[in-house]
Amino acid sequence: MRNIMTIAGKELRGYFVSPMGWVVMGLFALLFGYFFYAHLSFFVQQSMQSQGGGPVNVNQGMIRGVLGNASVIILFLLPMITMRTYAEEKRSGTIELLLTSPVTDVEIVFGKFLGAVGFYAALLGVTMLNIAILFIFGNPEVMPVVTGYLGLFLLGSCLISLGLFISSTTKNQVVAGAATFVVALLLWIVSWLGSSFGPNTAAVLSYLSITEHFDDFSKGVIDTKHALYYLSVIAFGLFLTVKSVDTERWRG
Amino acid sequence: MIEVQHLTKRYGPFTAVDDVSFRVEKGEILGFLGPNGAGKTTTMRVLTGYMPATEGTATVAGYDVFAQPIEAKRRIGYLPETPPLYPDMTVREYLTFVARLKMPATVSKAEREAKIEGAMARTHIADMATRHCSKLSKGYKQRVGIAQALLHDPEVLILDEPTAGLDPKQIIETRDLIRGLAGNHTIILSTHILPEVSQTCTRVVIINKGRVVAIDTPDNLTRQLKGSATLYVQVDAAGSDAAATLSLVPGVRGVMEFDRHDSQVGYEISAETDRDIRRDIARSIVDKGWGLLELRPLRMSLEDIFLQLTTDETGKVVADAPPAEPSTSESEVTNA
Repeated sequence: MRNIMTIAGKELRGYFVSPMGWVVMGLFALLFGYFFYAHLSFFVQQSMQSQGGGPVNVNQGMIRGVLGNASVIILFLLPMITMRTYAEEKRSGTIELLLTSPVTDVEIVFGKFLGAVGFYAALLGVTMLNIAILFIFGNPEVMPVVTGYLGLFLLGSCLISLGLFISSTTKNQVVAGAATFVVALLLWIVSWLGSSFGPNTAAVLSYLSITEHFDDFSKGVIDTKHALYYLSVIAFGLFLTVKSVDTERWRG
Repeated sequence: MIEVQHLTKRYGPFTAVDDVSFRVEKGEILGFLGPNGAGKTTTMRVLTGYMPATEGTATVAGYDVFAQPIEAKRRIGYLPETPPLYPDMTVREYLTFVARLKMPATVSKAEREAKIEGAMARTHIADMATRHCSKLSKGYKQRVGIAQALLHDPEVLILDEPTAGLDPKQIIETRDLIRGLAGNHTIILSTHILPEVSQTCTRVVIINKGRVVAIDTPDNLTRQLKGSATLYVQVDAAGSDAAATLSLVPGVRGVMEFDRHDSQVGYEISAETDRDIRRDIARSIVDKGWGLLELRPLRMSLEDIFLQLTTDETGKVVADAPPAEPSTSESEVTNA
Protein backbone atom coordinates (compact mmCIF):
# COMPACT_ATOMS: atom_id res chain seq x y z
CA MET A 1 0.00 0.00 0.00
CA ARG A 2 2.84 2.35 0.90
CA ASN A 3 4.46 1.70 -2.47
CA ILE A 4 1.19 2.41 -4.25
CA MET A 5 0.86 5.72 -2.43
CA THR A 6 4.48 6.64 -3.19
CA ILE A 7 3.92 6.11 -6.90
CA ALA A 8 0.47 7.74 -6.84
CA GLY A 9 1.98 10.77 -5.09
CA LYS A 10 4.71 11.03 -7.69
CA GLU A 11 2.18 10.78 -10.52
CA LEU A 12 -0.15 13.34 -9.00
CA ARG A 13 2.73 15.71 -8.45
CA GLY A 14 3.75 15.18 -12.07
CA TYR A 15 0.38 16.46 -13.29
CA PHE A 16 0.63 19.61 -11.26
CA VAL A 17 4.15 20.51 -12.32
CA SER A 18 3.59 19.81 -16.02
CA PRO A 19 1.99 22.36 -18.31
CA MET A 20 -0.26 19.61 -19.66
CA GLY A 21 -1.98 19.23 -16.30
CA TRP A 22 -2.81 22.92 -16.12
CA VAL A 23 -3.88 23.07 -19.75
CA VAL A 24 -6.30 20.20 -19.20
CA MET A 25 -7.61 21.76 -16.02
CA GLY A 26 -8.03 25.15 -17.66
CA LEU A 27 -9.79 23.74 -20.71
CA PHE A 28 -12.09 21.67 -18.56
CA ALA A 29 -12.99 24.64 -16.37
CA LEU A 30 -13.60 26.75 -19.47
CA LEU A 31 -15.80 24.22 -21.26
CA PHE A 32 -17.69 23.33 -18.11
CA GLY A 33 -18.21 27.00 -17.39
CA TYR A 34 -19.56 27.57 -20.89
CA PHE A 35 -22.05 24.70 -20.69
CA PHE A 36 -23.00 25.77 -17.18
CA TYR A 37 -23.75 29.28 -18.39
CA ALA A 38 -25.67 28.04 -21.44
CA HIS A 39 -27.83 25.70 -19.39
CA LEU A 40 -28.38 28.29 -16.70
CA SER A 41 -29.61 31.00 -19.04
CA PHE A 42 -31.87 28.51 -20.82
CA PHE A 43 -33.20 27.33 -17.48
CA VAL A 44 -33.85 30.87 -16.27
CA GLN A 45 -35.65 31.70 -19.50
CA GLN A 46 -37.82 28.62 -19.18
CA SER A 47 -38.76 29.25 -15.57
CA MET A 48 -39.77 32.81 -16.48
CA GLN A 49 -42.13 31.49 -19.14
CA SER A 50 -43.65 28.84 -16.92
CA GLN A 51 -44.63 31.38 -14.26
CA GLY A 52 -47.73 30.35 -12.48
CA GLY A 53 -47.14 26.72 -13.45
CA GLY A 54 -45.67 24.17 -11.05
CA PRO A 55 -42.28 24.66 -9.40
CA VAL A 56 -39.34 24.07 -11.72
CA ASN A 57 -36.72 21.52 -10.75
CA VAL A 58 -33.13 22.79 -10.92
CA ASN A 59 -31.76 19.28 -10.66
CA GLN A 60 -33.65 17.86 -13.60
CA GLY A 61 -33.86 21.02 -15.66
CA MET A 62 -30.32 22.19 -15.30
CA ILE A 63 -27.71 20.23 -13.32
CA ARG A 64 -28.48 16.99 -15.11
CA GLY A 65 -27.83 18.57 -18.48
CA VAL A 66 -24.60 20.20 -17.35
CA LEU A 67 -23.23 16.96 -15.94
CA GLY A 68 -24.27 15.16 -19.12
CA ASN A 69 -22.19 17.62 -21.11
CA ALA A 70 -19.30 17.21 -18.70
CA SER A 71 -19.34 13.47 -19.34
CA VAL A 72 -18.67 14.18 -23.01
CA ILE A 73 -15.98 16.79 -22.31
CA ILE A 74 -13.98 14.32 -20.27
CA LEU A 75 -14.00 11.85 -23.17
CA PHE A 76 -11.89 14.42 -24.97
CA LEU A 77 -9.73 15.53 -22.08
CA LEU A 78 -8.83 12.38 -20.18
CA PRO A 79 -6.66 10.94 -22.97
CA MET A 80 -4.39 13.94 -22.40
CA ILE A 81 -4.01 12.90 -18.79
CA THR A 82 -3.32 9.23 -19.33
CA MET A 83 -1.21 9.40 -22.47
CA ARG A 84 2.04 10.09 -20.65
CA THR A 85 1.65 7.69 -17.74
CA TYR A 86 3.60 4.78 -19.20
CA ALA A 87 4.69 6.05 -22.61
CA GLU A 88 6.83 8.83 -21.14
CA GLU A 89 8.52 6.51 -18.64
CA LYS A 90 9.31 4.06 -21.39
CA ARG A 91 10.71 6.76 -23.64
CA SER A 92 12.90 8.37 -21.00
CA GLY A 93 14.03 5.09 -19.46
CA THR A 94 12.69 5.84 -15.98
CA ILE A 95 10.59 2.71 -16.30
CA GLU A 96 13.85 0.86 -15.59
CA LEU A 97 13.94 2.48 -12.18
CA LEU A 98 10.39 1.41 -11.37
CA LEU A 99 10.77 -2.13 -12.67
CA THR A 100 14.03 -2.70 -10.78
CA SER A 101 12.69 -1.30 -7.52
CA PRO A 102 11.31 -3.66 -4.89
CA VAL A 103 7.70 -3.06 -5.93
CA THR A 104 5.36 -5.33 -7.88
CA ASP A 105 3.92 -4.54 -11.29
CA VAL A 106 0.45 -4.44 -9.75
CA GLU A 107 1.59 -1.80 -7.26
CA ILE A 108 3.02 0.33 -10.06
CA VAL A 109 -0.18 0.07 -12.12
CA PHE A 110 -2.41 0.88 -9.13
CA GLY A 111 -0.16 3.76 -8.16
CA LYS A 112 -0.35 5.26 -11.62
CA PHE A 113 -4.10 4.69 -11.76
CA LEU A 114 -4.69 6.36 -8.40
CA GLY A 115 -2.46 9.26 -9.36
CA ALA A 116 -4.46 9.92 -12.52
CA VAL A 117 -7.76 9.42 -10.72
CA GLY A 118 -6.58 11.88 -8.08
CA PHE A 119 -5.93 14.50 -10.71
CA TYR A 120 -9.29 13.79 -12.28
CA ALA A 121 -10.94 14.27 -8.89
CA ALA A 122 -9.24 17.67 -8.72
CA LEU A 123 -10.71 18.49 -12.15
CA LEU A 124 -14.16 17.62 -10.89
CA GLY A 125 -13.46 19.64 -7.77
CA VAL A 126 -12.97 22.77 -9.87
CA THR A 127 -16.42 22.34 -11.45
CA MET A 128 -18.03 22.13 -8.05
CA LEU A 129 -17.41 25.86 -7.74
CA ASN A 130 -20.03 26.38 -10.46
CA ILE A 131 -22.48 24.03 -8.82
CA ALA A 132 -21.88 25.75 -5.48
CA ILE A 133 -23.27 28.95 -7.00
CA LEU A 134 -26.58 27.18 -7.55
CA PHE A 135 -26.65 26.18 -3.91
CA ILE A 136 -26.02 29.76 -2.84
CA PHE A 137 -28.76 31.30 -4.97
CA GLY A 138 -31.19 28.41 -5.13
CA ASN A 139 -32.01 25.25 -3.30
CA PRO A 140 -31.28 22.21 -5.45
CA GLU A 141 -31.42 18.75 -3.94
CA VAL A 142 -28.02 17.50 -2.80
CA MET A 143 -28.31 13.80 -3.48
CA PRO A 144 -28.83 13.93 -7.28
CA VAL A 145 -25.76 16.16 -7.49
CA VAL A 146 -23.76 13.69 -5.42
CA THR A 147 -24.80 10.72 -7.52
CA GLY A 148 -24.15 12.71 -10.69
CA TYR A 149 -20.61 13.38 -9.55
CA LEU A 150 -20.20 9.76 -8.51
CA GLY A 151 -21.24 8.76 -12.03
CA LEU A 152 -18.83 11.21 -13.59
CA PHE A 153 -16.09 9.94 -11.33
CA LEU A 154 -16.72 6.31 -12.28
CA LEU A 155 -17.00 7.16 -15.96
CA GLY A 156 -13.70 9.03 -15.88
CA SER A 157 -12.00 6.24 -13.94
CA CYS A 158 -13.00 3.81 -16.70
CA LEU A 159 -11.39 6.01 -19.31
CA ILE A 160 -8.28 6.42 -17.16
CA SER A 161 -7.95 2.68 -16.72
CA LEU A 162 -8.28 2.10 -20.47
CA GLY A 163 -5.96 5.02 -21.21
CA LEU A 164 -3.37 3.57 -18.85
CA PHE A 165 -3.46 0.31 -20.77
CA ILE A 166 -3.09 2.04 -24.13
CA SER A 167 -0.21 4.14 -22.79
CA SER A 168 1.54 1.00 -21.58
CA THR A 169 1.63 -0.40 -25.09
CA THR A 170 3.69 2.37 -26.68
CA LYS A 171 6.67 4.63 -26.17
CA ASN A 172 5.01 7.50 -27.96
CA GLN A 173 2.63 9.63 -25.92
CA VAL A 174 1.00 11.17 -28.95
CA VAL A 175 0.11 7.72 -30.27
CA ALA A 176 -1.18 6.78 -26.82
CA GLY A 177 -3.27 9.94 -26.59
CA ALA A 178 -4.76 9.58 -30.07
CA ALA A 179 -5.59 5.90 -29.61
CA THR A 180 -7.18 6.54 -26.23
CA PHE A 181 -9.24 9.34 -27.72
CA VAL A 182 -10.50 7.07 -30.51
CA VAL A 183 -11.41 4.33 -28.04
CA ALA A 184 -13.20 6.84 -25.81
CA LEU A 185 -15.07 8.24 -28.78
CA LEU A 186 -16.12 4.77 -29.93
CA LEU A 187 -17.38 3.93 -26.46
CA TRP A 188 -19.50 7.05 -26.58
CA ILE A 189 -20.99 6.77 -30.07
CA VAL A 190 -21.39 3.00 -30.22
CA SER A 191 -24.98 3.34 -29.01
CA TRP A 192 -25.87 5.58 -31.98
CA LEU A 193 -25.32 2.65 -34.29
CA GLY A 194 -27.94 0.70 -32.39
CA SER A 195 -30.94 2.32 -34.07
CA SER A 196 -29.91 1.04 -37.50
CA PHE A 197 -29.81 -2.58 -36.30
CA GLY A 198 -32.46 -4.76 -34.75
CA PRO A 199 -33.67 -4.22 -31.20
CA ASN A 200 -31.39 -6.95 -29.76
CA THR A 201 -28.23 -5.53 -31.30
CA ALA A 202 -29.31 -2.08 -30.25
CA ALA A 203 -29.65 -3.25 -26.63
CA VAL A 204 -26.18 -4.78 -26.66
CA LEU A 205 -24.58 -1.75 -28.27
CA SER A 206 -26.23 0.68 -25.92
CA TYR A 207 -25.11 -1.46 -23.00
CA LEU A 208 -21.53 -1.19 -24.23
CA SER A 209 -21.71 2.57 -24.53
CA ILE A 210 -19.90 4.21 -21.68
CA THR A 211 -22.16 7.28 -21.55
CA GLU A 212 -25.49 5.38 -21.55
CA HIS A 213 -24.71 4.12 -18.06
CA PHE A 214 -24.19 7.64 -16.86
CA ASP A 215 -27.79 8.68 -17.46
CA ASP A 216 -29.24 7.13 -14.33
CA PHE A 217 -26.50 8.60 -12.17
CA SER A 218 -27.28 12.07 -13.45
CA LYS A 219 -30.97 11.53 -12.63
CA GLY A 220 -29.98 10.77 -9.05
CA VAL A 221 -30.39 7.01 -9.27
CA ILE A 222 -27.63 4.63 -8.28
CA ASP A 223 -28.34 1.43 -10.15
CA THR A 224 -25.93 -1.42 -9.30
CA LYS A 225 -26.17 -2.50 -12.93
CA HIS A 226 -24.46 0.69 -14.03
CA ALA A 227 -22.03 0.86 -11.14
CA LEU A 228 -21.04 -2.71 -11.90
CA TYR A 229 -20.47 -1.86 -15.55
CA TYR A 230 -18.08 0.92 -14.63
CA LEU A 231 -16.28 -1.13 -12.01
CA SER A 232 -15.79 -4.02 -14.41
CA VAL A 233 -14.40 -1.76 -17.13
CA ILE A 234 -11.97 -0.28 -14.57
CA ALA A 235 -10.90 -3.76 -13.44
CA PHE A 236 -10.57 -4.91 -17.04
CA GLY A 237 -8.40 -1.95 -18.01
CA LEU A 238 -6.13 -2.41 -15.00
CA PHE A 239 -5.87 -6.13 -15.68
CA LEU A 240 -4.84 -5.45 -19.27
CA THR A 241 -2.26 -2.91 -18.08
CA VAL A 242 -0.68 -5.38 -15.66
CA LYS A 243 -0.53 -7.99 -18.42
CA SER A 244 0.88 -5.51 -20.89
CA VAL A 245 3.68 -4.49 -18.50
CA ASP A 246 4.44 -8.14 -17.87
CA THR A 247 4.55 -8.95 -21.58
CA GLU A 248 6.85 -6.01 -22.16
CA ARG A 249 9.32 -7.52 -19.70
CA TRP A 250 9.44 -10.79 -21.55
CA ARG A 251 9.86 -9.14 -24.89
CA GLY A 252 12.51 -6.84 -23.48
CA MET B 1 27.14 -12.86 -3.60
CA ILE B 2 26.10 -13.01 -7.24
CA GLU B 3 25.80 -16.26 -9.08
CA VAL B 4 24.77 -16.59 -12.69
CA GLN B 5 24.32 -19.99 -14.23
CA HIS B 6 23.74 -20.83 -17.88
CA LEU B 7 21.94 -17.58 -18.47
CA THR B 8 20.42 -17.28 -21.93
CA LYS B 9 18.26 -14.46 -23.25
CA ARG B 10 16.64 -14.56 -26.65
CA TYR B 11 14.64 -11.88 -28.38
CA GLY B 12 12.72 -13.89 -30.91
CA PRO B 13 15.33 -15.53 -33.13
CA PHE B 14 18.12 -13.29 -31.85
CA THR B 15 20.22 -14.59 -28.95
CA ALA B 16 21.48 -11.63 -26.96
CA VAL B 17 23.05 -13.60 -24.13
CA ASP B 18 24.15 -17.16 -24.71
CA ASP B 19 24.83 -19.55 -21.84
CA VAL B 20 26.65 -17.09 -19.57
CA SER B 21 27.87 -18.28 -16.17
CA PHE B 22 29.96 -16.46 -13.60
CA ARG B 23 30.27 -15.82 -9.88
CA VAL B 24 31.08 -12.67 -7.99
CA GLU B 25 32.30 -12.92 -4.41
CA LYS B 26 31.46 -10.41 -1.72
CA GLY B 27 33.48 -7.19 -1.98
CA GLU B 28 34.67 -7.82 -5.50
CA ILE B 29 34.45 -5.39 -8.39
CA LEU B 30 33.67 -7.30 -11.52
CA GLY B 31 34.25 -5.56 -14.83
CA PHE B 32 31.99 -6.43 -17.70
CA LEU B 33 33.85 -5.79 -20.87
CA GLY B 34 32.67 -6.11 -24.41
CA PRO B 35 31.97 -4.24 -27.61
CA ASN B 36 28.63 -2.53 -28.09
CA GLY B 37 25.85 -5.04 -28.51
CA ALA B 38 27.77 -7.82 -26.80
CA GLY B 39 25.02 -8.48 -24.27
CA LYS B 40 26.34 -6.50 -21.29
CA THR B 41 23.20 -4.47 -20.75
CA THR B 42 20.94 -7.46 -21.28
CA THR B 43 22.84 -9.48 -18.67
CA MET B 44 22.59 -6.60 -16.22
CA ARG B 45 18.90 -6.15 -16.89
CA VAL B 46 18.30 -9.80 -16.14
CA LEU B 47 20.32 -9.56 -12.93
CA THR B 48 18.34 -6.54 -11.75
CA GLY B 49 15.02 -8.25 -12.41
CA TYR B 50 14.09 -5.82 -15.17
CA MET B 51 13.49 -8.70 -17.54
CA PRO B 52 13.38 -12.46 -17.06
CA ALA B 53 15.89 -14.77 -18.69
CA THR B 54 14.89 -17.27 -21.35
CA GLU B 55 16.93 -19.96 -19.64
CA GLY B 56 19.23 -20.27 -16.67
CA THR B 57 19.26 -18.85 -13.15
CA ALA B 58 20.64 -15.79 -11.43
CA THR B 59 21.01 -15.40 -7.68
CA VAL B 60 21.77 -12.15 -5.91
CA ALA B 61 22.65 -12.17 -2.21
CA GLY B 62 21.09 -15.61 -1.91
CA TYR B 63 17.81 -14.69 -3.57
CA ASP B 64 16.79 -15.94 -6.97
CA VAL B 65 15.93 -12.90 -9.07
CA PHE B 66 13.08 -14.73 -10.81
CA ALA B 67 11.54 -16.56 -7.86
CA GLN B 68 12.01 -13.86 -5.19
CA PRO B 69 12.30 -10.65 -7.19
CA ILE B 70 11.29 -8.27 -4.40
CA GLU B 71 13.83 -9.63 -1.94
CA ALA B 72 16.56 -9.60 -4.58
CA LYS B 73 15.70 -6.07 -5.74
CA ARG B 74 15.93 -4.74 -2.18
CA ARG B 75 19.60 -5.71 -2.23
CA ILE B 76 20.46 -4.27 -5.62
CA GLY B 77 21.33 -0.74 -6.60
CA TYR B 78 21.15 -0.27 -10.35
CA LEU B 79 22.36 2.47 -12.63
CA PRO B 80 20.96 1.89 -16.13
CA GLU B 81 22.73 3.09 -19.25
CA THR B 82 20.74 6.32 -19.20
CA PRO B 83 20.25 7.63 -15.67
CA PRO B 84 16.52 7.19 -14.92
CA LEU B 85 15.75 10.75 -13.82
CA TYR B 86 12.42 12.55 -13.79
CA PRO B 87 13.09 15.90 -15.46
CA ASP B 88 10.47 17.82 -13.49
CA MET B 89 11.80 16.82 -10.05
CA THR B 90 14.62 18.49 -8.19
CA VAL B 91 17.53 16.28 -7.22
CA ARG B 92 16.38 16.05 -3.62
CA GLU B 93 12.76 15.34 -4.58
CA TYR B 94 13.95 12.65 -6.93
CA LEU B 95 16.16 10.97 -4.34
CA THR B 96 13.34 11.16 -1.81
CA PHE B 97 11.03 9.40 -4.24
CA VAL B 98 13.60 6.68 -4.93
CA ALA B 99 14.30 6.29 -1.21
CA ARG B 100 10.59 5.77 -0.47
CA LEU B 101 10.41 3.23 -3.24
CA LYS B 102 13.49 1.27 -2.28
CA MET B 103 13.71 1.43 1.49
CA PRO B 104 11.50 -0.74 3.66
CA ALA B 105 8.62 0.96 5.50
CA THR B 106 10.46 0.49 8.81
CA VAL B 107 13.05 3.12 7.91
CA SER B 108 12.23 6.36 9.72
CA LYS B 109 11.99 9.70 7.94
CA ALA B 110 15.10 11.04 9.71
CA GLU B 111 17.09 7.97 8.74
CA ARG B 112 15.90 8.24 5.16
CA GLU B 113 16.89 11.87 4.94
CA ALA B 114 20.29 11.10 6.45
CA LYS B 115 20.88 8.50 3.75
CA ILE B 116 19.82 10.93 1.02
CA GLU B 117 22.28 13.53 2.33
CA GLY B 118 24.94 10.84 2.60
CA ALA B 119 24.45 9.68 -0.98
CA MET B 120 24.54 13.28 -2.23
CA ALA B 121 27.76 13.94 -0.31
CA ARG B 122 29.43 10.80 -1.62
CA THR B 123 28.64 11.63 -5.23
CA HIS B 124 29.36 15.37 -4.78
CA ILE B 125 25.93 16.58 -5.85
CA ALA B 126 24.88 18.31 -2.63
CA ASP B 127 25.20 21.74 -4.26
CA MET B 128 22.70 20.66 -6.93
CA ALA B 129 20.07 19.43 -4.47
CA THR B 130 17.47 22.03 -5.42
CA ARG B 131 18.20 22.01 -9.15
CA HIS B 132 15.72 20.33 -11.49
CA CYS B 133 17.01 17.12 -13.03
CA SER B 134 16.31 18.45 -16.53
CA LYS B 135 18.68 21.36 -15.88
CA LEU B 136 21.66 19.19 -14.93
CA SER B 137 24.70 18.59 -17.12
CA LYS B 138 25.35 15.08 -18.39
CA GLY B 139 28.00 14.51 -15.73
CA TYR B 140 25.69 15.57 -12.92
CA LYS B 141 22.87 13.44 -14.29
CA GLN B 142 25.19 10.48 -14.22
CA ARG B 143 26.17 11.23 -10.63
CA VAL B 144 22.57 11.59 -9.53
CA GLY B 145 22.06 8.19 -11.17
CA ILE B 146 24.88 6.74 -9.08
CA ALA B 147 23.52 8.43 -5.94
CA GLN B 148 20.16 6.84 -6.66
CA ALA B 149 21.80 3.42 -6.98
CA LEU B 150 23.65 3.51 -3.68
CA LEU B 151 20.93 5.34 -1.76
CA HIS B 152 19.52 2.36 0.10
CA ASP B 153 22.93 0.86 0.87
CA PRO B 154 22.45 -2.19 -1.34
CA GLU B 155 24.74 -5.18 -0.97
CA VAL B 156 25.09 -5.35 -4.73
CA LEU B 157 25.66 -2.46 -7.11
CA ILE B 158 25.12 -2.93 -10.81
CA LEU B 159 26.41 -0.02 -12.84
CA ASP B 160 25.94 0.11 -16.58
CA GLU B 161 28.74 2.31 -17.95
CA PRO B 162 29.02 4.52 -14.88
CA THR B 163 31.65 6.83 -16.37
CA ALA B 164 29.99 7.37 -19.74
CA GLY B 165 29.65 11.04 -20.54
CA LEU B 166 31.79 12.32 -17.66
CA ASP B 167 34.75 14.63 -18.05
CA PRO B 168 38.23 13.28 -17.14
CA LYS B 169 38.19 14.74 -13.63
CA GLN B 170 34.75 13.30 -12.94
CA ILE B 171 35.84 9.95 -14.35
CA ILE B 172 38.69 9.79 -11.85
CA GLU B 173 36.35 10.81 -9.03
CA THR B 174 33.80 8.22 -10.04
CA ARG B 175 36.41 5.48 -10.26
CA ASP B 176 37.69 6.43 -6.80
CA LEU B 177 34.14 6.38 -5.53
CA ILE B 178 33.53 2.93 -6.99
CA ARG B 179 36.79 1.60 -5.58
CA GLY B 180 35.83 3.05 -2.21
CA LEU B 181 32.48 1.29 -2.32
CA ALA B 182 34.02 -2.14 -2.82
CA GLY B 183 34.41 -4.16 0.32
CA ASN B 184 31.03 -3.18 1.72
CA HIS B 185 29.36 -3.61 -1.63
CA THR B 186 29.77 -6.12 -4.38
CA ILE B 187 29.94 -4.32 -7.69
CA ILE B 188 29.40 -5.25 -11.30
CA LEU B 189 30.18 -2.54 -13.76
CA SER B 190 30.16 -2.59 -17.51
CA THR B 191 32.31 -0.50 -19.74
CA HIS B 192 33.99 -0.48 -23.07
CA ILE B 193 36.80 1.70 -21.79
CA LEU B 194 39.64 -0.71 -21.12
CA PRO B 195 41.90 1.27 -18.78
CA GLU B 196 38.90 1.61 -16.53
CA VAL B 197 38.82 -2.13 -16.02
CA SER B 198 42.47 -2.48 -15.16
CA GLN B 199 42.21 0.48 -12.80
CA THR B 200 39.06 -0.37 -10.91
CA CYS B 201 38.17 -4.01 -11.27
CA THR B 202 39.41 -7.01 -9.36
CA ARG B 203 38.10 -9.36 -12.01
CA VAL B 204 37.08 -9.08 -15.63
CA VAL B 205 34.49 -10.87 -17.71
CA ILE B 206 35.04 -10.34 -21.40
CA ILE B 207 31.86 -10.90 -23.31
CA ASN B 208 31.36 -10.93 -27.06
CA LYS B 209 28.25 -11.74 -29.08
CA GLY B 210 26.49 -12.88 -25.93
CA ARG B 211 29.17 -15.36 -24.92
CA VAL B 212 31.78 -15.17 -22.20
CA VAL B 213 35.20 -15.22 -23.85
CA ALA B 214 37.35 -14.89 -20.74
CA ILE B 215 37.05 -14.47 -16.97
CA ASP B 216 40.14 -13.58 -14.95
CA THR B 217 41.96 -10.82 -13.08
CA PRO B 218 43.22 -8.04 -15.34
CA ASP B 219 46.84 -8.97 -14.49
CA ASN B 220 46.37 -12.62 -15.28
CA LEU B 221 44.74 -11.84 -18.55
CA THR B 222 47.63 -9.63 -19.54
CA ARG B 223 50.18 -12.28 -18.55
CA GLN B 224 48.36 -15.26 -19.95
CA LEU B 225 47.67 -13.81 -23.31
CA LYS B 226 50.99 -12.17 -23.90
CA GLY B 227 51.99 -15.03 -26.19
CA SER B 228 55.45 -14.10 -27.33
CA ALA B 229 57.50 -11.22 -25.99
CA THR B 230 57.73 -8.25 -28.29
CA LEU B 231 60.45 -5.62 -28.34
CA TYR B 232 60.69 -2.29 -30.04
CA VAL B 233 64.15 -1.22 -31.26
CA GLN B 234 65.09 2.00 -32.99
CA VAL B 235 68.40 1.95 -34.79
CA ASP B 236 70.38 4.50 -36.80
CA ALA B 237 72.05 2.06 -39.17
CA ALA B 238 73.32 4.75 -41.54
CA GLY B 239 71.66 3.17 -44.53
CA SER B 240 72.61 -0.48 -44.06
CA ASP B 241 69.97 -3.15 -43.48
CA ALA B 242 69.67 -3.70 -39.74
CA ALA B 243 66.83 -6.19 -40.06
CA ALA B 244 69.11 -8.90 -41.41
CA THR B 245 71.57 -8.45 -38.56
CA LEU B 246 68.82 -8.40 -35.91
CA SER B 247 67.19 -11.56 -37.20
CA LEU B 248 70.50 -13.41 -36.70
CA VAL B 249 70.46 -12.74 -32.94
CA PRO B 250 69.67 -16.05 -31.15
CA GLY B 251 66.12 -16.18 -29.82
CA VAL B 252 64.65 -13.81 -32.38
CA ARG B 253 61.63 -15.19 -34.18
CA GLY B 254 60.90 -12.35 -36.52
CA VAL B 255 61.78 -8.76 -37.32
CA MET B 256 59.31 -6.30 -38.77
CA GLU B 257 59.94 -2.75 -39.80
CA PHE B 258 57.69 -0.52 -37.69
CA ASP B 259 58.54 3.05 -38.63
CA ARG B 260 61.25 4.99 -40.42
CA HIS B 261 62.58 8.56 -40.22
CA ASP B 262 65.44 9.05 -42.69
CA SER B 263 68.12 6.66 -41.52
CA GLN B 264 66.47 5.98 -38.16
CA VAL B 265 64.46 2.80 -38.44
CA GLY B 266 62.22 1.27 -35.79
CA TYR B 267 61.69 -2.49 -35.70
CA GLU B 268 59.27 -4.68 -33.88
CA ILE B 269 61.02 -7.85 -32.84
CA SER B 270 59.14 -10.90 -31.65
CA ALA B 271 61.19 -13.19 -29.46
CA GLU B 272 60.85 -16.43 -27.53
CA THR B 273 59.26 -15.77 -24.18
CA ASP B 274 61.64 -17.82 -22.03
CA ARG B 275 64.74 -15.67 -22.50
CA ASP B 276 65.53 -11.98 -22.31
CA ILE B 277 67.32 -11.09 -25.54
CA ARG B 278 67.65 -7.36 -24.94
CA ARG B 279 71.37 -7.56 -24.07
CA ASP B 280 72.15 -9.60 -27.19
CA ILE B 281 70.28 -7.20 -29.42
CA ALA B 282 72.00 -4.17 -27.93
CA ARG B 283 75.38 -5.82 -28.32
CA SER B 284 74.80 -6.78 -31.95
CA ILE B 285 73.87 -3.21 -32.83
CA VAL B 286 76.73 -1.61 -30.93
CA ASP B 287 79.20 -4.11 -32.45
CA LYS B 288 78.20 -2.93 -35.92
CA GLY B 289 78.93 0.63 -34.88
CA TRP B 290 75.30 1.74 -35.36
CA GLY B 291 73.42 4.02 -33.07
CA LEU B 292 70.99 2.38 -30.66
CA LEU B 293 68.31 5.01 -30.11
CA GLU B 294 65.61 3.09 -28.32
CA LEU B 295 65.01 -0.38 -26.93
CA ARG B 296 61.92 -1.28 -24.97
CA PRO B 297 59.56 -4.19 -24.45
CA LEU B 298 56.11 -3.85 -26.01
CA ARG B 299 53.64 -5.01 -23.40
CA MET B 300 50.37 -6.32 -24.54
CA SER B 301 47.71 -4.02 -23.18
CA LEU B 302 44.24 -5.04 -22.19
CA GLU B 303 43.22 -3.38 -25.43
CA ASP B 304 45.20 -5.90 -27.45
CA ILE B 305 43.84 -8.76 -25.40
CA PHE B 306 40.36 -7.52 -25.89
CA LEU B 307 40.80 -7.20 -29.62
CA GLN B 308 42.54 -10.56 -29.80
CA LEU B 309 39.82 -12.31 -27.84
CA THR B 310 36.87 -10.75 -29.54
CA THR B 311 38.27 -11.14 -33.04
CA ASP B 312 39.71 -14.62 -32.34
CA GLU B 313 36.29 -15.77 -31.42
CA THR B 314 34.74 -14.54 -34.64
CA GLY B 315 37.72 -15.91 -36.59
CA LYS B 316 37.14 -19.29 -35.03
CA VAL B 317 33.47 -19.32 -35.86
CA VAL B 318 34.22 -18.55 -39.47
CA ALA B 319 36.95 -21.20 -39.58
CA ASP B 320 34.78 -23.83 -37.91
CA ALA B 321 31.84 -23.42 -40.20
CA PRO B 322 33.13 -24.74 -43.54
CA PRO B 323 34.59 -28.07 -42.28
CA ALA B 324 31.35 -28.75 -40.46
CA GLU B 325 29.37 -28.71 -43.67
CA PRO B 326 31.27 -31.31 -45.68
CA SER B 327 31.28 -33.68 -42.71
CA THR B 328 27.49 -33.58 -42.48
CA SER B 329 27.07 -34.03 -46.21
CA GLU B 330 29.57 -36.88 -46.04
CA SER B 331 27.61 -38.63 -43.36
CA GLU B 332 24.53 -38.17 -45.44
CA VAL B 333 26.29 -39.79 -48.35
CA THR B 334 27.39 -42.75 -46.24
CA ASN B 335 23.93 -43.08 -44.82
CA ALA B 336 22.48 -43.16 -48.28
